[in-house]
Amino acid sequence: MIEWSEQHEMIRDAVRRFIEEEIVPNLEELEHGDLPPYEILRKMYATFGMDEMARGRFERQIAKAEAGDAKEKKAREGDGTGDGAAMQLIPIIELCRYCPGMVTALGVSVGLTGAAIMSKGSVEQKKRWGLDVLTLTKIGAWAITEPGSGSDAFGGMKASARREGDEFVLNGSKTFITNGPFADTIVFICKLEEEGVDSRDRKILNFVLDRGMKGLDQGKPLRKMGLHSSPTGELFVNDLRCSIDHLLGGEDALNKSHGAGREGAKDTFQTERSGVAAMALGIVSRCLELSVAYSRERVQWEKPIGEYQLIQEKLARMEVARMNLQNLVFRTIELSAHGKSMGLAEASAMKLYAARAAVEVAMEAVQVFGGNGYMAEYHVEQLARDAKVLQIYAGTDEIQIRAIARDLLTG
Amino acid sequence: MKILVCLKQVPHQDARLDIDGAGTWIKEDGIKFEINSYDTFALEEALRIKDAGEAEVVVVSIGPDRVTQALRTALGMGADRAIHVKDAEIDGSDTLGIAKVLAAVAKEESPDLVLMGLMSDDGNASAVPPMMAELMGVPSATAVMKATPEGDGYRCERELEGGALEVVDLAKPCLIAVQSGLNQVRYASLKGIMAAKKKPMDTKSAGDLGLSGVVGAAGAKAQIEKIYAPVRGEGAEIIEGSTDEVVTQLVGKIKELGLL
Repeated sequence: MIEWSEQHEMIRDAVRRFIEEEIVPNLEELEHGDLPPYEILRKMYATFGMDEMARGRFERQIAKAEAGDAKEKKAREGDGTGDGAAMQLIPIIELCRYCPGMVTALGVSVGLTGAAIMSKGSVEQKKRWGLDVLTLTKIGAWAITEPGSGSDAFGGMKASARREGDEFVLNGSKTFITNGPFADTIVFICKLEEEGVDSRDRKILNFVLDRGMKGLDQGKPLRKMGLHSSPTGELFVNDLRCSIDHLLGGEDALNKSHGAGREGAKDTFQTERSGVAAMALGIVSRCLELSVAYSRERVQWEKPIGEYQLIQEKLARMEVARMNLQNLVFRTIELSAHGKSMGLAEASAMKLYAARAAVEVAMEAVQVFGGNGYMAEYHVEQLARDAKVLQIYAGTDEIQIRAIARDLLTG
Repeated sequence: MKILVCLKQVPHQDARLDIDGAGTWIKEDGIKFEINSYDTFALEEALRIKDAGEAEVVVVSIGPDRVTQALRTALGMGADRAIHVKDAEIDGSDTLGIAKVLAAVAKEESPDLVLMGLMSDDGNASAVPPMMAELMGVPSATAVMKATPEGDGYRCERELEGGALEVVDLAKPCLIAVQSGLNQVRYASLKGIMAAKKKPMDTKSAGDLGLSGVVGAAGAKAQIEKIYAPVRGEGAEIIEGSTDEVVTQLVGKIKELGLL
């Protein structure tokens, strides 16, 4: 793939029009007024038929699983077009031009929570929780991070599940949980209490919790630097009792090896990291567009600032970043067209570059705008605050570097 | 029931427009195009008629290869098939030439209803709809704000100056040129966009339509002489002061010039 197709551009134009008509007028409320993003996201899903497409995919997957060939999905073949990947990435790019927080809220609900249920759950669990999350009928949260564990997510994890007869008793605190305050369906990741097994080595289990369950408390949205349109909060689980129906994979999950839960989560990291390039492309494209327009209009010493070489250097660097990110997105689509996906090291390299590029470009855009750039009205200020999180979530820059280096040194 | 919707592809409203070397049009390289906004309302109206019952919606557009994107977008929104009239011979046509091309397509298609925008965002002539209706020999209404089926035709409410509305009844076949804002234009769904590439799109030339030598710059009675940005004049006088002072002075000047 070397350029967007006519069809891709049609999708982009349609989504862009929706964003300009439905999101831009609400941007102030989304970013500064605590308006949750879910109703607008649901409207987007309904408008473009994304809910029906998700339902169709779900039904096909369930039919396959019931026919007994669920394992086949690993050996997937590309359709040669990558249209499926493009249809997912284009809305991400477009949303990030204005509101990266909405992508985070959407991605965590559908991409992380929905995918976790669909990859680890039994057919009954997928039907019970998966479909509603995938169609955005219900909002999902994927709870892994804790006050004492971030990059060392599993090693430092304290959340626990104790088996008592037919029940499990769950305990633990989670923080920085996207959609946490409003989620209907939460995938709660914790460790099985196992006598004689070191805490760092215990089995990782995934439980599905429903909003309102006794023992579950969903905290209010936390105030944060950026991504204001994506509600983030704490979750407190105190002696929450649930049956094995809530354990994704049921008895099978208990019988798996100690490392299985960790490996499963790493697959999720890889998907998450690939999406960050599309997010960065949206932020960078918008910052560049705004900066070019401003450089033409803003006059100092009787000429547009775009005629000064120091500004030109910034614009040129922004364009180089945009081109690189676009090519990374093209590669993701092309791989998908051939039924392939990136390895963890490549996905990490892409995420590292994308996050740094987004932050650098957005901060430079603020600089091009000068005093205006520091004001919320000119929008680059919001994009610069939003961009920073790309270097932190889905694995910090430092964790990406470690993954890349490990792959180089052990490969 | 067959509905023909005429679409024009025009420069995107946010496109940066520069005048070309000949000074008679804009530089089209590298700018984004979109469906003329007035025509999107016409398309939506056609799709609503289709949704309410049996109707085939055919979209037609004239122009170079880029026009296929406008047609595919219309197919993605729900139109059934498209006709792309592509021929360098048509370049330089005046509004009558364009009306002749569209009327020739309508003659081949025999639609019960032709829908189009009142005017184009770039040309602003408002000339093609009535010319096309004349060439087709069918009744027409322009600046239509509402069209409802009535007997064997449509009852149209036309927008007049001062906010007044005029009601006219058109017997089918007829042509309706819509005003903007008469409906909420739908979005093409992702599934619709995917399906669009499988829908039929015919390409026709001036010759196919029996118009060779009739349309294009040679046959045009009106030609664009020049396009230019308004020149900043020397005679401007800036009136300064409070609003009341500015208004008083402005009214005084208008009276002074004998305009009031």
